[in-house]
Amino acid sequence: MKKKATYQRYLNQFGWMCVAPSIVLFCLFMLYPILSSLYYVTRRWKGMTNTFIGLGNFIRMGQDKVFQAALGNNFLFMLFQIPLMVFLALLLAVLLNQGIRRFKGPFRLAIFLPAVTSLVVVSVLFRVLLQENGMLNNVLIKARLIAEPIGWLNDAFWAKVTIVLAMTWRWTGYNMVFFLVGLQSIDPEIYEAAEVDGASKARQFFRITIPLLVPVILFSVVTSTSGTMQLFDEPNILTWQGGPANATMTAALYIYRQAFFVNADFGYATAMSYVVVLISGIFAFIQMRLLGENRKAK
Amino acid sequence: MSMVRNWSAGRVLALVVLLAATVISVFPFVWMVVGSTLNPNDVLRGNLMPGAEFASNWAKATKSYNLPLFFWNSLKIAILTVVFGLLVNGFAAYGFEKYPSKARDRVFNVLLLTLIIPQIALVIPMFRMFAFMRLLDSHAAIVLPSIMSVFIIFFMRQNFKMFPTEIIEAARADGAGELAIFLRIVTPSMQATYVSSAIYIFINQWNSYLWPLITILSDAKKTMPIAISSMMNAYTIEYGAIMVIVCISVLPVLILFLALQRQFVAGLLGSVK
Amino acid sequence: MKKRLSVAIAMALTLALVLGAVASCGSGPKMTDKVTVWCWDPNFNVYAMKQAAAVYNKANPGVTIEIVDMAQDIEAKIISGLQANGAGLPDVALFQDFRIEQFLTDYPNAFVDLKAEGVDYSQFAAYKVGPMTVGDKVYGIPFDTGSTGLWLRTDYIQAAGLNPDAYMGKNLTWSEVIELGEQVKAKTGKPLLAYQSDNFDMLRIVVQSTGGQFFKEDGSLNLRSDAFRKSLALFKELNDKGLLYQVVGWSDWINAINSDTSAGFLNAIWMVGSVKSRPENAGKYMVVPTPLIEGVAGAANASNNGGSSWYVFSSSKNKARAVDLLKSVWATATPENLEFYNTILKDAGAMGTFLPSQSGSNYTANDSFFYKGQALSRDFASWMANVPTLKYTPHYVPMRDAVAHATLNYFQGKIATIDDAIAAAEAEYKQVTGN
Repeated sequence: MKKKATYQRYLNQFGWMCVAPSIVLFCLFMLYPILSSLYYVTRRWKGMTNTFIGLGNFIRMGQDKVFQAALGNNFLFMLFQIPLMVFLALLLAVLLNQGIRRFKGPFRLAIFLPAVTSLVVVSVLFRVLLQENGMLNNVLIKARLIAEPIGWLNDAFWAKVTIVLAMTWRWTGYNMVFFLVGLQSIDPEIYEAAEVDGASKARQFFRITIPLLVPVILFSVVTSTSGTMQLFDEPNILTWQGGPANATMTAALYIYRQAFFVNADFGYATAMSYVVVLISGIFAFIQMRLLGENRKAK
Repeated sequence: MSMVRNWSAGRVLALVVLLAATVISVFPFVWMVVGSTLNPNDVLRGNLMPGAEFASNWAKATKSYNLPLFFWNSLKIAILTVVFGLLVNGFAAYGFEKYPSKARDRVFNVLLLTLIIPQIALVIPMFRMFAFMRLLDSHAAIVLPSIMSVFIIFFMRQNFKMFPTEIIEAARADGAGELAIFLRIVTPSMQATYVSSAIYIFINQWNSYLWPLITILSDAKKTMPIAISSMMNAYTIEYGAIMVIVCISVLPVLILFLALQRQFVAGLLGSVK
Repeated sequence: MKKRLSVAIAMALTLALVLGAVASCGSGPKMTDKVTVWCWDPNFNVYAMKQAAAVYNKANPGVTIEIVDMAQDIEAKIISGLQANGAGLPDVALFQDFRIEQFLTDYPNAFVDLKAEGVDYSQFAAYKVGPMTVGDKVYGIPFDTGSTGLWLRTDYIQAAGLNPDAYMGKNLTWSEVIELGEQVKAKTGKPLLAYQSDNFDMLRIVVQSTGGQFFKEDGSLNLRSDAFRKSLALFKELNDKGLLYQVVGWSDWINAINSDTSAGFLNAIWMVGSVKSRPENAGKYMVVPTPLIEGVAGAANASNNGGSSWYVFSSSKNKARAVDLLKSVWATATPENLEFYNTILKDAGAMGTFLPSQSGSNYTANDSFFYKGQALSRDFASWMANVPTLKYTPHYVPMRDAVAHATLNYFQGKIATIDDAIAAAEAEYKQVTGN
């Protein structure tokens, strides 16, 4: 009996040793940064020196319309880009799964392809394509769809559209593959039964496909939301530092600029990053709740 | 089933939509390859006939930028991250899954909680820390913080769940040590998991931008994405040369993708199952 | 027990391997007599420093001088390096004159006092020395001037049925320029000016030409001036009449100029390098004096944009060599050095502010690359004498960005009036600086 307890202790110790390296790295590169940020958030930086200002950074944030507008842009991108992308990805997944019989593999491969590019590359490609005298405007003018070139990068409204387009190009195929996996896990017998009951295709789609896909859709929305909350590469490169005139400035980009680009105001930047964490947390909480309720409902 | 009907209007529509999606998805790739053979003005205008300027674009790209070095930097960083990442996260996932304990489960839950913290919130204190450690402007600064990945631990743990505990217990009964069990019995049979994780880590690191942008200062340390982004910030922009570099930076991931499609998708999908 | 030990050792080894192998890839290079210089623009600063390095290497053959084109990331990288106590920083860096006050204020110990190293500042143009002086310390080696002019494509003017000679060398007013622009646009379809819509440079050129200031003497913001209002109104008019070809970002602006999108641009002498980098531009460009806004007291047909200077970091491991490079080539009047200044003036439009260099032959020579061999340097130098000085302060960059943003929104009709644009710029400046 005693021997068994010793053996259990040995196994437990081995378990700790397995996880020890990752815990050490976690403490170094996650825990310590989080704890030290508690100090930074109360300070105001000026060059190499900093002074205690308590909640001063948060008060400043309350008056900073640039930061508020940047957060607003994050929400705006979420509101338009995610539904658009989920709709397209869902449409393509269903068409691929049920609409055609041959060449499923090549289509899936091709549509997934944008997901192999880095966001930096996406930004560069779109920035060249969307110049005022660039390819897209040329094509649209030749096709007589527009008379004057569109200011994809110059105009506040179109620049936002540009960001949404670039994100949609990069992520639709990626999400489509999620949905395909979800669709393929649906038992064909359910459809056959519905067929026997005389349910139309549309009815099948809304009554069977969508409800069964809700967990996958929610997952895709969760990851996209957290990705959009951190949007950085595209506004920094594609629309040139959040331009025009901060029209595509995002929270992450503004934080970066305050801490590393224009100034080294680590205190203020940390305070703003707290707000981003808080919002991400709230989103994650709501979405997990929805996911949980969905599971219970079944 | 009604779907088996011949060329219905619905089928044609589906085909058209899918074809359109394919063209839109693939076009930029074609365009960037063609663009690498054109002069800057033709790149901009969107000429789609291949030109004869590849050699001069290549010369421009390699003359003003140390392209082989940047490529090597990216490759080195990505491979180091993969090797150490598999080692550390593999052990961790195995430890969390196959040595059940309340305390470790609590630790694991804390790890999971940090998944919601956006990177932008971590880079500021991390920058201060690396500056203090005098490791700024080094590749260590990029590799070290990306070895441990909660996401990879989670993904691998999900997969380790499928490995029958009975086999481990049988091996123990035969007198095998714990380390030997993990290295000689468990790891070899989890190859697919390791390959998927490796691809995921590689691509993430190969494409990473924000943290390298903050930590890399000197030219000799630049990675491909940083090099591309500073080319876009250059005072004279050479679109042809940029297309050459963009093609090269996409190539490794594209090859990985085409060669290992299934594992690639499994890696990206991660834990959705 | 034995098992546990071996496991512990294995684990410790894994971790040590991780930390050790990774840390080793950050090990430093071999020590040689090397000076690293950060600057930007291969056709201009990089080129000029390369020429200087060649001159220096003749006398000091064993020294390696590495010149890195940092593009527009340079200040961000320097800020990060300074915060890390010099990690990753070069020995020498080039700073915009408008940017240096921020660095000298925020990082008082980061730069080498070159006056103490024996540089004679009476040999440099006084307006360049001002921003780099703190108390009795002077930190930089002044480099170039940014004397401005209106660059015009004579081929498009001719295509519009006009004679370029009628404009050559003339002190134009902006209404005359707008008239010219409308004719060119009507005939050729080319907008008169390539314009970087997110950038402040052109507005700065116009405001400075009126003698206006963005800051008051005490350093507070000063946008509610007649000069600023009139300048904004002028830009709105140019914009509304379709005379601006708009791009975002500097590199796309350069690209716009070198891809025949517009009939000209308004900028400084240092554009010579970029214009000359494209052979097809030969014979096409002429430069006339910066146009004048009518009805503003103190306005001149001259302005300035840019201009930068060299600085040595205190963190440099090869400080003496770095100082020697700057001092012995850029600040000493030997025949070789003067010839160096003369060469970079012709090739790149790098007009030094080292006074002895201004007697070089290229200051007066005709330049066959330009329309009718215009003696470009002579003209820019003569305009330079009339340039009103501009006060920068450490907060120039937030001011610049805020004004650029408000201007763009005003153009695009998102802000209705000039007064609202000024208020918006003031508000953003206050929010971003936290002052």
